[in-house]
Amino acid sequence: MATIIQIADAVVAQLNAAAFSQALTATRHYAPSFKLPDMKALHVTVVPRSISSMSLDRNRDTFNYEVDVAVQKKTDGEQATLDALMTLVEEIADHFRVGPLASFPGARCMDVKNSPVFSPEHLDEFRQFTSVLTLTFRLVR
Amino acid sequence: MSDLLDKGSAWLEGQRKKHATREVTYRRGMDAVVVKATIGRTLFEQDDGAGVIVRMQVRDYLIDTADLVLASEPTLPAKGDRIEEIDAGQKHTYEVLPLGGEQHWRYSDPYRRTLRIHTKLIETEEV
Repeated sequence: MATIIQIADAVVAQLNAAAFSQALTATRHYAPSFKLPDMKALHVTVVPRSISSMSLDRNRDTFNYEVDVAVQKKTDGEQATLDALMTLVEEIADHFRVGPLASFPGARCMDVKNSPVFSPEHLDEFRQFTSVLTLTFRLVR
Repeated sequence: MSDLLDKGSAWLEGQRKKHATREVTYRRGMDAVVVKATIGRTLFEQDDGAGVIVRMQVRDYLIDTADLVLASEPTLPAKGDRIEEIDAGQKHTYEVLPLGGEQHWRYSDPYRRTLRIHTKLIETEEV
């Protein structure tokens, strides 16, 4: 299995095993596609994003694997609901920043991006919270 | 001199309401009113702006401005209001939301008699 898929699966496993302020079930997708009426339930989606590599020595490369974690939920637009979802996004980011991937310990999370912190377009047009974390895992092989 | 276009528009709106409407429930929180609405365009759209595709049914409702009265007060559509439509044993709930670059509603005629309200399907349940 491709390394990035193994890393994405490890991210899914870790999300599902950890305790966050809101219960969640993460799933891995290639091309996530959801219907708006289904978004009343919290969706946490893991998608492989990109791979880059740099030569380290004659035999090894340093690989950066980017994996997206999308947190999405149709909301009532209430600030308290949105604040709680922002807290969840931060908890997920902190979770990967501070610890190794339990089922893939060779890959270290080196960078966490969350820009923009939420999609204003989704909030305006669907009253749906969408925030995408991009986690970069480094692996030497 | 009377405005013939205004009179013509009023007649047309009357015909629309008489012959091309169905009853729907317009709801804002606890307040609701049953109004006659013409179903405008219905589209299926998708958005992949954030990398995750969201598919939705978009529907416009045409409602007389004078009919939109909630809690005894005339009102205009607000984002987040709901329109409930019962069809073939199912209740479809649409939420008033903006569409693309447009606001969530606009007047449908120059005389402000009819509202064109943009909505998106958020729930379907058996009744």
